[in-house]
Amino acid sequence: MESVLSPAASSTAPRRRKRFQSWKWAPYIFISPFVIIFAIFGAFPLIFSATLSFAQWDPAAGFGAIKWIQLDNYKFVLTDRWFWKSLGNTVYIALASGLPQHLVAIPFAAFLSTLLRGRNIVLGAYFLPFITSSVAISLIFSSLFSKDFGAINAILMSLHDHLPLIGQLLPDHKVDWLQNTEMVKPTVSFVVFWRYVGWNTVLYLAAMQTIPEDLYEAATLDGASITRQFWHITLPMIRPMMFFAVSLTLINNLQLFEEPFILLGDNGGTGQAAMTTAMYMYRTAFYFSDFGTACAISWVMFVIIAVLSYGNNRLFKLAGGED
Amino acid sequence: MASLSLRNIKKAYGNNAPVIEGLNLEVGKGEFVVFVGPSGCGKSTLLRMIAGLEDITGGDLLIEGERANELHPSERGIAMVFQSYALYPHMTVGENMGFALRLSGMDKRAIKEAVGRAAEVLRITHLLDRKPAALSGGQRQRVAIGRAIVRQPKVFLFDEPLSNLDASLRVQMRIELARLHRELGTTMVYVTHDQVEAMTLGDRIAVFNAGKLEQVGPPIQLYREPRSTFVAGFLGSPKMNFLDVETAGAVAGNLQLKLGGNQSLDFGRTPVGTLPSQLTLGIRPEHVRVVPAAAGLQARVDMVENLGDTQLVHTALAGSEASFSIRMAPDAISPRVGDVVGIHIDSANALLFDRTGRALELA
Ligand SMILES: Nc1ncnc2c1ncn2[C@@H]1O[C@H](COP(=O)(O)OP(=O)(O)OP(=O)(O)O)[C@@H](O)[C@H]1O
Ligand SMILES: [Mg+2]
Repeated sequence: MESVLSPAASSTAPRRRKRFQSWKWAPYIFISPFVIIFAIFGAFPLIFSATLSFAQWDPAAGFGAIKWIQLDNYKFVLTDRWFWKSLGNTVYIALASGLPQHLVAIPFAAFLSTLLRGRNIVLGAYFLPFITSSVAISLIFSSLFSKDFGAINAILMSLHDHLPLIGQLLPDHKVDWLQNTEMVKPTVSFVVFWRYVGWNTVLYLAAMQTIPEDLYEAATLDGASITRQFWHITLPMIRPMMFFAVSLTLINNLQLFEEPFILLGDNGGTGQAAMTTAMYMYRTAFYFSDFGTACAISWVMFVIIAVLSYGNNRLFKLAGGED
Repeated sequence: MASLSLRNIKKAYGNNAPVIEGLNLEVGKGEFVVFVGPSGCGKSTLLRMIAGLEDITGGDLLIEGERANELHPSERGIAMVFQSYALYPHMTVGENMGFALRLSGMDKRAIKEAVGRAAEVLRITHLLDRKPAALSGGQRQRVAIGRAIVRQPKVFLFDEPLSNLDASLRVQMRIELARLHRELGTTMVYVTHDQVEAMTLGDRIAVFNAGKLEQVGPPIQLYREPRSTFVAGFLGSPKMNFLDVETAGAVAGNLQLKLGGNQSLDFGRTPVGTLPSQLTLGIRPEHVRVVPAAAGLQARVDMVENLGDTQLVHTALAGSEASFSIRMAPDAISPRVGDVVGIHIDSANALLFDRTGRALELA
């Protein structure tokens, strides 16, 4: 067969192939940075943690120490008192910080959208916590909420003494916001609420600004008061954004870690009252060196978040009459 | 009693020069008045002031004899149809139409009945359960009108309601609007840029210019006896031809006019009162005839457009570069581009204006 190839053909073929190949590979080279980074930091941990969740492994002992134990990690997690407690804490804080976030952000955004001037300054002020480091925020709040020297107790005490009537409703002793088991969860929830309310306001304001002005004019002519317009025009029109914002809150709050971790330390405060599931997972991995169980916890959380997000999706679709 | 009275109405935004100044207009009960005028002259602003969506800076607005300046929009007994339709996207057609009634606390059965009746008038009964997104432009427009009808207003306001529709749908909706006005007999105020809509729908046309009312009257009157070059030029397509002329004396009621390029014209009639030396002659394209070159004013043919039902010949008169158009019958033998032709002006239909643009009364 070799003799059949003409000299001309064999001399042009390699040259053409070379040019063709560099052209062919160029696109892959351009997209390779993303693919490589995603493979290392995205796909690999995902697959590795899924694998590990079926194994017992102390990383200090090397890869040889991986022992396959099937579903034992999951069985353990689902019967673990501490897991359920941390999940309870997480759900408590998620609701106590998440619900008010939206209940405040929506009317607040509606108010801001009526402001003609100063809107961006107010918005910026509320958005600031979102872009501030959570370490700085937690440090500030640690000092504000401090029992003996904190500004919050000082203000409450003085209001108790000097404000007539409602002053009596305020506590007459210094509240131990960060140590008292009863107070820890509300305190953490407040910080989380405070941090994200501005973000949600920005989302809702953006949605409200896309509502055409003539809808409100038509509603005015139809006899709708400002509150009726809010109910019948604004709320239905921002429904897609509500779905998006609530989904984000759901996903973020169920993975809550930084604020309680820095505010209360790695054990989640007195009696682990504010130890979230994410913190528990962190402790399981890095304190108890039980990576298999930690991976199982994260996958259980994944399922919970996925189910709740789906439920959220259905809820919004139902409320909007499915369109 | 007038359905709508505008007395010395003024509008200024902030400290800017007023957009509308000293406007007076009476709209009779059941009348259909069309607002026309160049873009930015304040038509929408005026309509929105009547609706209550815009504050009135000065003057009085009376609706059925009662001062309405300070009344809330929903209490004025007016309904407005927006150019953008402004339908509530999350409500069905039926809910859209019944929204005002629902807010007023009417019971469900009565609302359904009222909506059903309006839907029948507009032939959209089969669409009542759809959302606006699932409607065509024409259907949306009908729903927007239906939403206005349901409230049984004293006055309908329309701001360019058909301008988002294609040409054939526009004609169809125009005819339906005329029918609707006949059936309901409600007062309507209608803003449009469309000459044909203005001429066919209006009992009267109000021509605006820079925030002032230039002239109000029945369409034919405005077309035949415009009070100014502005109104004369605004109505009719192609525009009325204007020629700058000089008077060369009048002999026994016969005015002699001098045109550019040493041409002269025997006008036949003469204005009442003093005779200015500088005049503007106005003549519509349909009142001009093409004659042999020696028998009329000399003109060069620049372009011939055959529109099927009519031919438009655009020419330039000798001694002038302004375009001068002539309408010819579709089957007439039209001149060719570059030809020099004669033009005969039918002075019985011509108008004379002084140089400020005011029409002169002719004897
Ligand atoms: N909110 C406002 N602030 C300042 N000026 C305004 C405002 N709204 C309208 N104007 C001015 O008022 C004038 C009239 O506007 P309007 O919308 O009534 O014109 P229009 O006759 O409806 O024009 P069009 O035919 O293009 O719709 C314009 O010169 C416009 O710039
Ligand atoms: Mg307008």
